[in-house]
Amino acid sequence: MGNLSEIINEELQVETVFTIPIFGGIPVSESVVVTWIIMAVLILGAFLLTRNMKLHNISKRQAFAEWIVTTLSDMVEGMVGEKGRAFIPYLVTVMLYVGVANVCGIFGFKAPTKDLNVTAALALMSILLVEGAGIYYLGIKRWLHKFTEPIAVVTPINVLEVFTRPLSLCMRLFGNVIGAFVIMELIKTISRNILLPAVFCLYFDLFDGLLQAYVFVFLTSLYIREEIE
Amino acid sequence: MNTAIIAIGAGIAVLSAIGAGVGIGIATGKATEAIARQPEADGKINKALILGCALAEATAIYGFVIAFLIIIMLK
Repeated sequence: MGNLSEIINEELQVETVFTIPIFGGIPVSESVVVTWIIMAVLILGAFLLTRNMKLHNISKRQAFAEWIVTTLSDMVEGMVGEKGRAFIPYLVTVMLYVGVANVCGIFGFKAPTKDLNVTAALALMSILLVEGAGIYYLGIKRWLHKFTEPIAVVTPINVLEVFTRPLSLCMRLFGNVIGAFVIMELIKTISRNILLPAVFCLYFDLFDGLLQAYVFVFLTSLYIREEIE
Repeated sequence: MNTAIIAIGAGIAVLSAIGAGVGIGIATGKATEAIARQPEADGKINKALILGCALAEATAIYGFVIAFLIIIMLK
């Protein structure tokens, strides 16, 4: 058991990999480096899939790329609604990033979403987008008036929601990833053969990770839809 | 003695999982009933179910995070 708590503690620590020697040193943590790797993989994948695209006689590669784009953007459009089409690229990007970040633990990387700072930043981006969309689509006056709807008594609760929404988004993602990780470590400690962790890995790492990416984007787009309609 | 009390506290915090389990169970049961009654509406039902499950599951996750923080911070 002592060994396990050591592993968990070590995984929880946000290590500084190196320091950029400008402005008195900017520390770069491990999650940022893994994020860079994920960015590189996604950009390389996008580049390879979209090279020399044609209008007619498309290659299998281009068909696959088109299938990915249409499937994901149709899925997100169903959540964010007709009016929120402008947000689809951002939401799909977040979905791809969170999905890859949750799954990349399988390949031996330390999942960036296991770092509370990363999920907090994602949640902050979401709530800024939601409120910004409200101001952009409704105008400041109607956006402010929306806080007093449906009746004026609920205004404190509506204001509180601006803070509880990102908090719950952030904690949900972080808690799920860290929970799956702790359970996987426990299973690895108690099981003697390799089959049991492999089966649970399918559920906790793959299924749960992708589901959480979906849920994160789903809730963000739901908030956006609620705000702009 | 101290570790035992910390462990009990973490265990109590994780009890919040009961609510989430019951909630998701009821939601899934109702969703199955709804799909059995109206199989053509399964897309909409699935979406509502996933949203409800995500929100219900959050309470369990909060309990887990609190238990985790109790163990890490008070150790």
